[in-house]
Amino acid sequence: MESTFDIFIKAIFSENMIFAYFLGMCSYLAVSKTVKTAVGLGAAVIFVLVVTVPVNYLLENYMLKEGALEWLDPSLAEIDLSFLSFIMFIAVVASIVQLVEMLVEKFAPALYGALGIFLPLIAVNCSILGGALFMQDRQYSTILDATAFSLGSGIGWFIAIVAIAAIREKIRYSHVPAPLRGLGITFIITGLMGIAFMSFMGIKYGSEKPADEAPKSTSIEAPINNGMAQTTNTNTYKSL
Amino acid sequence: MSEEVKSKAPSEPLFSKKNRALVTDPLTDNNPVTVQVLGICSALAITVQVEQGIVMGLAVLFVLVLGNLIISLMRNLIPSRIRIIVQLVVVAALVIIVNEVLKAFLPDVSEKLSVFVGLIITNCIIMGRFEAFAMANKPWPSIMDGIGNGLGYAGLLVLVAVFRELFGSGTLLGFQIFGNSLPGEETGLYAMGYMNNNMMILPPMALIIVGIIIWVQRSRNKELIETH
Amino acid sequence: MAINKDSNGYTLGFAVVLVVVVGTILAMLSIGLKPMQKKNEIVKKKIEILSAMLTPMEMDSINRGNASEEFDKYVDLDNAVVLDMNGSLKDGVKAFDVDIKKERRDKTLAEADKNYPLFICEKDGKTMYVIPVVGNGLWGPIWGNISVGEDMKTILGASFGHKGETPGLGAEITQPFFVNRWLDEEISDENGVATKFEIVKNNSGTEPKKVDGITGGTITSVGVQEMVNRCLKPYVSYFNTLKK
Repeated sequence: MESTFDIFIKAIFSENMIFAYFLGMCSYLAVSKTVKTAVGLGAAVIFVLVVTVPVNYLLENYMLKEGALEWLDPSLAEIDLSFLSFIMFIAVVASIVQLVEMLVEKFAPALYGALGIFLPLIAVNCSILGGALFMQDRQYSTILDATAFSLGSGIGWFIAIVAIAAIREKIRYSHVPAPLRGLGITFIITGLMGIAFMSFMGIKYGSEKPADEAPKSTSIEAPINNGMAQTTNTNTYKSL
Repeated sequence: MSEEVKSKAPSEPLFSKKNRALVTDPLTDNNPVTVQVLGICSALAITVQVEQGIVMGLAVLFVLVLGNLIISLMRNLIPSRIRIIVQLVVVAALVIIVNEVLKAFLPDVSEKLSVFVGLIITNCIIMGRFEAFAMANKPWPSIMDGIGNGLGYAGLLVLVAVFRELFGSGTLLGFQIFGNSLPGEETGLYAMGYMNNNMMILPPMALIIVGIIIWVQRSRNKELIETH
Repeated sequence: MAINKDSNGYTLGFAVVLVVVVGTILAMLSIGLKPMQKKNEIVKKKIEILSAMLTPMEMDSINRGNASEEFDKYVDLDNAVVLDMNGSLKDGVKAFDVDIKKERRDKTLAEADKNYPLFICEKDGKTMYVIPVVGNGLWGPIWGNISVGEDMKTILGASFGHKGETPGLGAEITQPFFVNRWLDEEISDENGVATKFEIVKNNSGTEPKKVDGITGGTITSVGVQEMVNRCLKPYVSYFNTLKK
């Protein structure tokens, strides 16, 4: 029902990997001390997500899902290999990361210099496996949707890590209470950024309008819904 | 070398001070989440309710203890070149077992945890402990290390979940603590005008609560303070 | 030891043994637990349908163990029918096997090919029609079942479910206080025109066709509104033809 573009925008903002699902927090906390390294890691995550999610999508739909083997032979339609999906996904992620590392080193040494040290870190970055698992969980119906989702998630993660790195660079000059320095304040700032990102949840996506209703009634209903969503939100925050 | 190990092993009691420290250290001063900064990824999103926190904690504990044991038993057999892949396969297999068992026996909980069970695979605690401890230690200390870190992790999850469920929904494990909050039929604290803090339920509050826990812990133990 | 652990042969051999061992264990586990998992899914679906037609009191005595039995007491699956989007009967599809959640996500499936199952139940000698609905909440899919009485328009019961709405906010749609707000509403007027329900706030939902939403869970509540309005249409046209 959702359009591909909706999926893309949603993945960047309202369903941001870091702020809504906390995926990839380990490397997010460890590699966000300077903006330069954060940009490197962020770019690597976008790259690996965009490569692995479509591959895992094909794997899921043509091998693992119940009835997915039907294209080989109708008699295989009964086979359900979905219990193997975790192990297949992580294997795909680990081997693609390895492969990408070798290819980049061989053909683009400059890029390898920039991304190289981050690539091995990424195999165990939750956001990559998380991308594959969300893709499976949400059952995207075309590979285009899955790719849009992976690109959006990657960009969302990139924005998050670059933003926190910029803040951490500046916060060094502030008087943070000693026990809160480093990790503690990073957690709290991430939380505050997450609250800011929550305001993106109010975005009205095309898919939320009744899809199969006559266009006339849609145009009448939509503004009412919009106004209501906003007013109720303000009410909630006032009551806090 | 193996003979030396054999002759030495019985002399050390199972619950020696060193082994006990393996369990107790990660509970406080070497907590995997607040001090080692491992495994925050998959966990915080499911700390809205204590029940989910407990199940998630137990799942990680199970995977960590068994994984540590298996890796430790195989540590002299694993070829070093495919070490990481072997560890990943062991974790993934254990997580699949947890997931299938949950689906069969606790279908409601499994539905709530959804993808976060699968994400135990990339929980840095597990790979971190395999690499740092189980690869270099004998099975028994590895089990103890697994229990300690698993409990430290589960404990933190439950602690965060208690705060979030209590102040966010006014319940603990589903039981109403502050009275009935239904509009129109309030009892207990709600009748006096108390309101649930909806903020607690939202994902970012998990981070802020962990931040505060770290603050409290480091004020009490000055050694943990970072320079920057 | 004599074996060189870093030789290619050993590495390969180790990998093969590991894969075979792990594969066997997992395959056995999966085959062993599969029937239970399938059963859980079926039971869950039955409980959802039951909870739309029974009162919360009656639901208290129903658990995963006895749900199938109780379900058979009320529902005869041979009577269940499947409609298309215009409310005409469709042959060759089993109502209980239709996965409307999956069909809603599937972009490759044309609107005209989607199935709308209808379960016909008997409770205390009266016929009830249970209509499954599915839509989008804030975070993911929401779904539910709505039961309509013998007059084919009054809502007698409902149950809603969701995948991952915010607990305490959007997730409250499953709570009785929200479900009760739907009771006694009519899904069509005397001319057989489908009702357009509207989610409103501040306890103004006492009028017909208006239902109170959940504070802080507006997007989910509006999702329920959209879901009910859209999904009930084919059934209203089917009921119209039945009445004639």
